[in-house]
Amino acid sequence: MDGKVKKQQKRHQQKHSGPKAEKKKLKKQEGSNEEDERKRNPKAFAVQSAVRMAKTFHRAQDIKAKKHHIPLVDRTPLEPPPVVIVVVGPPKVGKSTLIRCLIKNFTRQKLGDICGPVTIVSGKKRRLTFIECNNDINTMIDLAKVADLVLMLIDASFGFEMETFEFLNICQVHGFPRIMGVLTHLDAFKNNKTQRKTKKNLKHRFWTEVYQGAKLFYLSGMVYGEYQTQEVKNLGRFISVMKFRPLVWQTSHPYVLADRMEDLTDPEKVRTDPKCDRTVSLYGYLRGTYLKNKGQVHIPGVGDFQVSDVNCLPDPCPLPDVQKKRGLNEKERLLYAPMAGVGGVVYDKDAVYIDLPASHVKQQEEEVRPTTELVQSLIDTHATLDAKMAASKVSLFSGSATLDSTDEEGLHEQRVWDPKIQRERRKVVFTEEKEDDDNSGSSDEDDDSEEVEESGGEEEQEVDENPDEDALSTFLKEARSQCNEKERGGAPPVKKQKLEEEIAEVPVFADSDDELEKRDSGHCSEEEEEEDEEDKNMSNIYISSISFGFFFSGIYIFTLSTGALCWKEGLQQKASEAFLRQQQAAPNLRKMVYGSVVAADDSEEEEEEELGGLFRVSRPQKSKKTQANALDCSHFKADLSHNWDLEEMLNSIRDCFVTGKWEEGQDAATLLKEDEELYGDFEDLETGQVHKSHSGRQDEGEVEDEEVQKNKRLEKKRRLKERFDSEYDDGEATYFDDLKEEMQKQAELNRAEFEDMDDETRVQYEGYRPGMYVRIEVPSVPCEFVSNFDPHYPVILGGLGSSEGNVGYLQMRLKKHRWHDRILKTRDPLILSLGWRRFQTIPLYHIEDHNGRHRLLKYTPQHMHCGASIWGPITPQGTGFLAVQSVTGTKTNFRIAATGVVLDLDKSVTIVKKLKLVGYPYKIFKNTCFIKGMFNTVLEVAKFEGASIRTVSGVRGQIKKALSTPAGAYRATFEDRLLMSDIVFLRSWYPVVVPQLYNPVTSLLLPVGQKDSWAGMRTVGQLKHDLGIRNKPNTDSLYKPVVRTQRRFNPLHIPKELQKALPFKSKPKQQQSRGKTPRDLQRPGVIREPHERKVIALLQALSTINNYKKKKAHTVQHSKHKEFLQQKTKQEEAKSKRQKELRKKLYRAMDQKDQKRSRSSLKGAPQES
Amino acid sequence: VHTQNHGLEYDGCNFFRQRLVLSTLSGKRVRIKNIRSKEDDPGLRDFEASFIRLLDKVTNGSRIEINQTGTVLFYQPGLLYGGAVEHDCNPQRSIGYYLEALLMLAPFMKTALKATLRGVTNDPIDPTVDLLKTTALPLMKKFGIDGAGFDLKVVKRGMAPGGGGEVLVTCPVRRTIKPVQLRDPGKIKRIRGVAYSVRVSPQMANRIVDSARSVLNQFLPDIYIYTDHMKGANSGKSPGFGLTLVAETLNGCFLSAEMSSTPQGQGDPVLPEDLGRNCAKLLLEEIYRGGCVDSSNQSLALLLMTLGQQDVSKVLLGPLSPYTIEFLRHIRDFFQIMFKIEVQKPLEDERKGGDKVLMTCVGVGYSNINKTLK
Repeated sequence: MDGKVKKQQKRHQQKHSGPKAEKKKLKKQEGSNEEDERKRNPKAFAVQSAVRMAKTFHRAQDIKAKKHHIPLVDRTPLEPPPVVIVVVGPPKVGKSTLIRCLIKNFTRQKLGDICGPVTIVSGKKRRLTFIECNNDINTMIDLAKVADLVLMLIDASFGFEMETFEFLNICQVHGFPRIMGVLTHLDAFKNNKTQRKTKKNLKHRFWTEVYQGAKLFYLSGMVYGEYQTQEVKNLGRFISVMKFRPLVWQTSHPYVLADRMEDLTDPEKVRTDPKCDRTVSLYGYLRGTYLKNKGQVHIPGVGDFQVSDVNCLPDPCPLPDVQKKRGLNEKERLLYAPMAGVGGVVYDKDAVYIDLPASHVKQQEEEVRPTTELVQSLIDTHATLDAKMAASKVSLFSGSATLDSTDEEGLHEQRVWDPKIQRERRKVVFTEEKEDDDNSGSSDEDDDSEEVEESGGEEEQEVDENPDEDALSTFLKEARSQCNEKERGGAPPVKKQKLEEEIAEVPVFADSDDELEKRDSGHCSEEEEEEDEEDKNMSNIYISSISFGFFFSGIYIFTLSTGALCWKEGLQQKASEAFLRQQQAAPNLRKMVYGSVVAADDSEEEEEEELGGLFRVSRPQKSKKTQANALDCSHFKADLSHNWDLEEMLNSIRDCFVTGKWEEGQDAATLLKEDEELYGDFEDLETGQVHKSHSGRQDEGEVEDEEVQKNKRLEKKRRLKERFDSEYDDGEATYFDDLKEEMQKQAELNRAEFEDMDDETRVQYEGYRPGMYVRIEVPSVPCEFVSNFDPHYPVILGGLGSSEGNVGYLQMRLKKHRWHDRILKTRDPLILSLGWRRFQTIPLYHIEDHNGRHRLLKYTPQHMHCGASIWGPITPQGTGFLAVQSVTGTKTNFRIAATGVVLDLDKSVTIVKKLKLVGYPYKIFKNTCFIKGMFNTVLEVAKFEGASIRTVSGVRGQIKKALSTPAGAYRATFEDRLLMSDIVFLRSWYPVVVPQLYNPVTSLLLPVGQKDSWAGMRTVGQLKHDLGIRNKPNTDSLYKPVVRTQRRFNPLHIPKELQKALPFKSKPKQQQSRGKTPRDLQRPGVIREPHERKVIALLQALSTINNYKKKKAHTVQHSKHKEFLQQKTKQEEAKSKRQKELRKKLYRAMDQKDQKRSRSSLKGAPQES
Repeated sequence: VHTQNHGLEYDGCNFFRQRLVLSTLSGKRVRIKNIRSKEDDPGLRDFEASFIRLLDKVTNGSRIEINQTGTVLFYQPGLLYGGAVEHDCNPQRSIGYYLEALLMLAPFMKTALKATLRGVTNDPIDPTVDLLKTTALPLMKKFGIDGAGFDLKVVKRGMAPGGGGEVLVTCPVRRTIKPVQLRDPGKIKRIRGVAYSVRVSPQMANRIVDSARSVLNQFLPDIYIYTDHMKGANSGKSPGFGLTLVAETLNGCFLSAEMSSTPQGQGDPVLPEDLGRNCAKLLLEEIYRGGCVDSSNQSLALLLMTLGQQDVSKVLLGPLSPYTIEFLRHIRDFFQIMFKIEVQKPLEDERKGGDKVLMTCVGVGYSNINKTLK
């Protein structure tokens, strides 16, 4: 509006002539301005103070460096799992209401009961999982470990409650997730001013706890039982744009917050034994990092388990497809909360109702669908297994090799095979079920079905492996089908039976219907056909294929095969065959390496050949066995088929050397040429000659391919750019930048490496990616987990790293929490939350002395860190932990007793406590003493020979040698003579053992409603309190009145001789006090007459008066004398002053005289004298 | 009270070291059954017992149980302790046998390892200490295990069967291992080697050098083979000689080959000329196989890749040896890690030897749980 009205301004006209233009031109010519200024005003740019300059420089660098974080490889998945938002707060603060409002805000759906995690799609790139955290400290601890964002609800009308601070402290220990405070119940305030004041107070307190400026939301009031729409919307916006920091524990461990649980146990088994261990499958989004199949997991509140199987399911709550639009449509606003009854599964008291959602059916389909080839091969099977077994002898070596079966499929099958899936399940899977069933049924009837199956299969494989040239193509199909059938029908029962015997065994990987496995299993049965030479050929060929294209590389097996030389026949033919095989085998190297190793877990019996079903042929070393017991050597023997004397062989490696031919891009000639192209055209200024690059000439002659030209240009461009970049960056590039770039490159590589692979293969290499929705099967879970399942309590599967499933001693740094009101006592059981786990253990507290000794402490220090050693699960160093004394109920005071960090893991501990051994001298020579009472035997003394000992008074000594009697006495020397009353002690250190208590808190197994009442081992104090035991105190420790006996000293006795020699002064005075004068010597008192008395009284009065007069006269005299003295000093001063001046005058005169004289003497001859 | 992982079970004594080393690193216990159970002389051999003893010395709290006949071994690993270790290796196998396993464990100790191993330094069966020094150490350096304290020193040389050699290994401790991308070995720029001889004429070494050079000079002029003749107390108890050759590429990869004379009193004696020529041919064979890691160190490279951080590592190898293939299976058992194996066939006009294998894996994110946090 403004612009239109304003009239066009006149443009500035630049002067081209005149004084102004001249001036400008001059300025331009002179060059850069800055330079000029530096020259003109050098003082302004000079260094004023070097110190100040250094300071400013340091400060600038500090600020710069503070911004740096250690660069980490960005491992966030492309499609991240839903963000876990934990809503925490004391009861009745409005948690469920808030979740309900947020869900309504995002999905327009209303949810009744919030139990279990609720997953929703909140935006085009973000999904959220809400979970409510109740007031149980177990739940708080578990959820703090998996939370990405914490919504901390605070009742503003009440203020902070202990739970809030407890949760904050739990978060701090286990990595700090994002925390957002939400103030509710703000409408309870009547007065606006108090509300504002409280808000401010709460905000500042919250800031000091979290960080300055942490977001705090205010939900001002309720409308129809819900929060105000606008406020919820704002909160939702904050949540959906929030960025999260990667937490160390979370990014290094896979974990699943289960949102669905199913009991897979056989109902019959449950019926017969309701307390039997259950097999459970848990569903949820995988978070954190890659999860490996068959790994170990910990379920907090339940225990450690070995995962039996992991499957990846289609996402029940997928992100919308990428489209260029702004928002989500209604269809894409998904909500998934099976535990709350949304999304298909409803949990009841004793049943689970599933209305099959699309995802579930899909998964089943996937399992069912066989690959076309497999079906084909199964259809081709005409004969039953038994028939084939019977016929196997005939067709043993006429069958053709089916080694080239190249079907890539197999994972579905493998999953089907997996024995831990229920049998019923499997029945549904196959269309050829009947056949399959028949097979297994028949084999089950047999007594030793395993062996029959195995041997049958093996024999068939001989057929497969027979390398005869007259391979009939018609046979091929049949053979393959046999083989497949064997794997279909034969192997599963074997596996299952074995599984019942032993749970842990080598996991079967990869495709089972794969040629290499066949070879493998064929190989294990070779020994049975020892007498056949053909067989040996076969084994050789097998070996050659194992060693990947080198016919003789498996030499060690050659040498071990029987001494017969018949294998040498037809060597060339075999070589050529092997070559062919190698050509086929090369792409299948993966299968060769990882193809299931059935042979590995065959029991001994199976390998023995049966003769007529009664006798077993026992043969000593056969190839497979010998391979298992072969020489353990990493040397890879050379391929003898290469003759390095031949010129062509030598030529085949010519280019491996710098002297050989170089690649197109690296050849010196091409590089030179390229340089020339880059800087090709140039003009020699001196001669004026113009040099043209060669490329110019070329396009004249022949029309080159457009594509090639374009590529070349692009390449050139790229090269130029690279060069420019490197030159440009060189000045600025720091170590930090380099590191960052390296990480960036690694992240790109990580992303790109498996990108174009299908999920099933990818999962094998990487493990299951975070963000996938997985189903995890966990066997042998205690039945209480299922029977006491409460969806309000979170079920977390925390993956454990290698060796994190073991237990050992942990040394930790611990500090009693400053809000916990009592110090902790050594050997009092404590519940620790460390890693995924919560467990009770007995810590010993200690402190490190200056010499590295760990000295036991009885109690934790009040305000200081101390060491703590426990017996517990191995957890990586640097992991934080917190300790509580009990998880039952809520006490009024602060529950978190201590926090700390793991420092060291070991299988032994070195904590010592001080031990003072006390002994008493029983015989004293000069400096040598015999001491008893410290030890009991000679042996004990022998152990301490040379140890230093001390008396209470500080006389030091050393143990010398044991004495024969009394037992345990020894000779010791001291630096001074001891007294018999001295006590000798030996200061020693006694190792303390840490009690091996590791008691996981199994709170999830407790009955519903009592899950927060887990009680473990009690402390000694509690035990005594509960049992009413009061210890009798040690009588020595009681306070008693101190009674001191009077000490009497003997009189000093001086020898007579000495007395004589002493001077009189020092001589002991011989005169004794005379004591009382006897009565006869006492003089009687005088009694005066009255007259005499009068006279004396008068005399006394007179003398008193006289005395008084004298005294008065004396004082008068004294003051007069004082006055006189003062006067005298005054006169004296005056006199001296006068004299001084006189003297001064005199001296001056003399001086003048002297000067005059000297002056005149300088002038000439003395005139006066 | 608590459920521990059940551990793994194996049959036979082959790949004995792999199983124990991986068990120690992964913390999984292992039971090995049927050790030579069908042989006339069943049970563990002396050298295996010696290896177990060495393992016991570098660990703390391991539990080893062997049955009466020695055919069943149960091993529950403790924590790697390290520090100064002295061990008399059984002369049935050379020090290389023990050293291969020790190098795999060395970076993951609590304190830096300083091991003195005594026994046979060179024999024809196992990789010799010279070979490990020239190939395994530079390989480990690529994974970030380096520093001043990383060294292998041959103090005394002892040939089979008598032994009497001594080797000093020092290795610093690392918390994590770097991922590597070794895709291009580069071209070979120089060949180095050591021709050693003990208790024979020092001229033997010179004869070996001449014959080896005659073969290798067809490819490269930059060849230097050191002669190492040890005398007196440093020469061990048995006579013998041998050659170790190493080819270094522009990208710092090392390919090596070696050959030792047959031990005294076992088999036909060899001429030094033949030995030199054959060893050179072995080196050519090794170059033909190619890759960034030579064939005897494949498993070490793969192990360090497995134990790296959770990033993609790539290494180009020559054809996998049977030992390596078994090692890959064991890695899968112990760490649930599978390698992506891609075969790279040489181009038609390329003259760079045979097929290569590109091994790719994502590390387990292993961190050294033994190291103390200060």
